[in-house]
Amino acid sequence: MNIIELEDVWKIYRIGEVEIPALRGLSLKVKPGEFVAVMGPSGSGKSTAMNMIGCLDIPTKGRVLLEGQDIAALSEIELARIRGKKIGFVFQSHNLYPTLTTLENVQLPMRIHEFSEVQIWDRSEELLQLVGLSDRANHYPSQLSGGQSQRVAIARALSTYPLLLLADEPTGNLDTEAGGEVLDIFAQLNAQGVTVVMITHDEKIAERANKIVRMIDGALAS
Amino acid sequence: MRLLDIFLLSLSHVKKSRMRSWLTIIGVIIGVASVVAIISIGQGMQENMQERLGNFGADIITVIPGYFRATGVHSEMHTDRSVSTSSSINLTDKDYKVVKQVPGVMYVNGIVSGKADIVYDNEKTVVSVTGVDTSVWRLMDTTGIDEGRYLQTGDSNSIVVGYNLAYGTFLQPVTLNRPLTVGGKNFRVVGILKQSGGFGGGSDTAVYMPAEMARGVITEKVANNQFTSMVIKASDASLVESIKDDIDQKLMSSRQVNPRTKDFTVIASALIREQMSGVTQTLSLFLSAIAAVSLLVGAIGIANTMFMSVMERTKQIGLLKAMGAGEREIMKLFLIEAGMFGFVGGIIGVVFGSAISLLIPFLGVQALGFGGDMRATITAETILFALGFSVVIGILSGIIPARYAARMRPVDAIRYDQ
Repeated sequence: MNIIELEDVWKIYRIGEVEIPALRGLSLKVKPGEFVAVMGPSGSGKSTAMNMIGCLDIPTKGRVLLEGQDIAALSEIELARIRGKKIGFVFQSHNLYPTLTTLENVQLPMRIHEFSEVQIWDRSEELLQLVGLSDRANHYPSQLSGGQSQRVAIARALSTYPLLLLADEPTGNLDTEAGGEVLDIFAQLNAQGVTVVMITHDEKIAERANKIVRMIDGALAS
Repeated sequence: MRLLDIFLLSLSHVKKSRMRSWLTIIGVIIGVASVVAIISIGQGMQENMQERLGNFGADIITVIPGYFRATGVHSEMHTDRSVSTSSSINLTDKDYKVVKQVPGVMYVNGIVSGKADIVYDNEKTVVSVTGVDTSVWRLMDTTGIDEGRYLQTGDSNSIVVGYNLAYGTFLQPVTLNRPLTVGGKNFRVVGILKQSGGFGGGSDTAVYMPAEMARGVITEKVANNQFTSMVIKASDASLVESIKDDIDQKLMSSRQVNPRTKDFTVIASALIREQMSGVTQTLSLFLSAIAAVSLLVGAIGIANTMFMSVMERTKQIGLLKAMGAGEREIMKLFLIEAGMFGFVGGIIGVVFGSAISLLIPFLGVQALGFGGDMRATITAETILFALGFSVVIGILSGIIPARYAARMRPVDAIRYDQ
């Protein structure tokens, strides 16, 4: 079964009287174990596509299926629960909760989903080790470099054992070296079987994925 | 999300923005402190009043010559003056008989009071003399005997003295069986009253003797068949008001006066007490309302801070929602934070308010013309009320910002540019 499937998805934003179609019939499938890069210039509808894949928004027309289930059939609360648990987000910036330490940030999704204390502590320590930041466990986000922040964000995104790691320009604010390190982690995770979808406008970064989906004007570029 | 985890998350916010949190809390502190101080002072005032009025039994009605249109505070407080200026219209035997026949009247004490010189142990001063009906006085007095006995029927040269007169007026305390001279006549002390603490300390510095003796010693002229006042004990405290009206009517017809030419006043101290506590209650309610305004300002401060932090944290709200937090959890997160401001502000405010209340007696402020020192009474109820109220106010002022935060769509929140 596909982890996520977009079927002829339209998203039309309305600003006053004007209708702006951000997506015009986008269809997309993500299979387990894939590392997909969604590519496209700015204004191509990548971000809207990411909202759809991440179940953060509901399409105007068309269907979004998460593990075969139409998300339109879910209530707001159910959707929030499922989204939080099954999809791990890594955003471009401001990923971390500034008032919490690195360790607490990694634990936050597990606390939201009420994991047991034992699980919370074991898992968060294990994940910090995975991204190589065990020694920064008690640092606050303001004390971390951009690359370190993104690695913490990845650890956090993984904490609830999601089906899918969804990253929106994860290296957008990083220099080449730090960006490379982050991409290495994605590749490493994918090699271990984690499904990754990454939104980017950068060809070089997209090349790290094993499948590239190109978008233009709100639909797939053919 | 577990409540404890939401609480810790709220706490992390409060701790991170210390300056702003404290400024918000100070607003609450000022409000709560003023409310606590004012309620405590109001309560102190009321208790003060109760104690001062407490010695007039609830079943006692007093008739004095002279008419005071404003029945209440003044007629009660200045009985002495009214007597001395209206000696020509004293109450008479006839009035005594009329009053005695009013249904519900148990005892009537015809009183002859005035001033006289007192000499004790070669010291001389002026004293209030209260001449009483020895047959009923001991049955009606509410002060109580400290030492010795009340006056009895048949006593002639015996007197009972007030507590302060016995222990505070002369260099040597007045003791039982000691001779002293009042208005040139010799008396023997047979009893000392307990301290009453009543209005102006009247009964504490007075001497009590049989009415017929008083007529001979006081400087004022009171004829043999006249009294300067009558104190009446009603058979039932609950009937005081109707008995008072009855006495009023009967005396008006026997003295042949109408409400315009009325020359006497009937006072029921229980009614005065009600009136007085009504006045103090209104007063403290009014003051509390003013204090509540400062609490309101504190509440607005909380709301303002909460709105600011909701705006600042839009991105974080988006993150929490992306991670699966629902509206309820976001709502709780902000409400707990607002409630914390209220609670901490409440606790510190109560401490400050209590401190202010405790300092009041030392400031020696006179209580709004009632005489005596002002004091404040802090009760557990006041403290709990203030604490509860400040938490509720904190939460209430957090509701709108919290709801605003909770209803943000995750997409908008995440894309929000800081």
